[in-house]
Amino acid sequence: METTIFYIISAIILVFSVLTVTTTKILRAAVYLLFTLVATAAFYFMMEYNFLAAVQLTVYAGGIVVLIIFSILLTHQINLDLKKINSIKKITSGLVSLFGFILIGNIIYTHTFKATSSVIADTSVNEIGRTLLNYGDGGYILPFEVISVLLLAAMIGAIIIAKKK
Amino acid sequence: MHSEGLILFFLAGIVMVGMGVLLSSLLSPKKQNDVKEEAFECGIPTEGPSWLQFKVGYYLFAILFLIFDVETVFIFPWATVMKEMGMVAFIEILIFFVILGLGLIYAWKKDALKWE
Repeated sequence: METTIFYIISAIILVFSVLTVTTTKILRAAVYLLFTLVATAAFYFMMEYNFLAAVQLTVYAGGIVVLIIFSILLTHQINLDLKKINSIKKITSGLVSLFGFILIGNIIYTHTFKATSSVIADTSVNEIGRTLLNYGDGGYILPFEVISVLLLAAMIGAIIIAKKK
Repeated sequence: MHSEGLILFFLAGIVMVGMGVLLSSLLSPKKQNDVKEEAFECGIPTEGPSWLQFKVGYYLFAILFLIFDVETVFIFPWATVMKEMGMVAFIEILIFFVILGLGLIYAWKKDALKWE
């Protein structure tokens, strides 16, 4: 059953990834990318990385795609069809993709995956929260507060750039 | 992974949505004409494409939204252990909020939230 779901999700990811790069309407490419990202989140849920899946959905599917769609809508060439790609570009990009596929496939197949007997790290949201807020040994409270400073810097930077006349 | 629940979920979804579509297409009277096929826009005939260029002002709001979106990601794990950790967790998140609140105040002061 789990294998079946895995193949269904894989098929969704593959189909929409190909559609993302082959469609001639740019706004549709963004929406196909959204489907790819959501299907990736489904993978994380399958592996029970619930927090990672939630981050994938809120930040990538909810945030980044919105930003991409906004960027597209700000341009005035939304309705134009993208140019047909010429055959030289098709062949070279095909070769590059093939090379990448062979490289990654080679690495995966020559690597021997050993089943480990050691305890798998607890990745539940509860445990992440406990570690993130822990100020003792092995706690991440300082990075947690630094994140807010980083976000503050990002916000101020965005406002300064946007408000510059 | 509880696959029985998942199958049931999909089946229920297919039945609930599918039956609605199927029954309404079977029961509804069908008289098609050109006017009915038009997109409805306040009763006025539609004009031009629907994919229009947006005002640049939206972009700043999108970025501010994204930053607070990332902030919520860090509130999830806090919310699950808030009761268990008590006052310490509360003070920690308070510091987190105050620092980000400064950003909101800055945006407010710089009129970034004002629509132009």
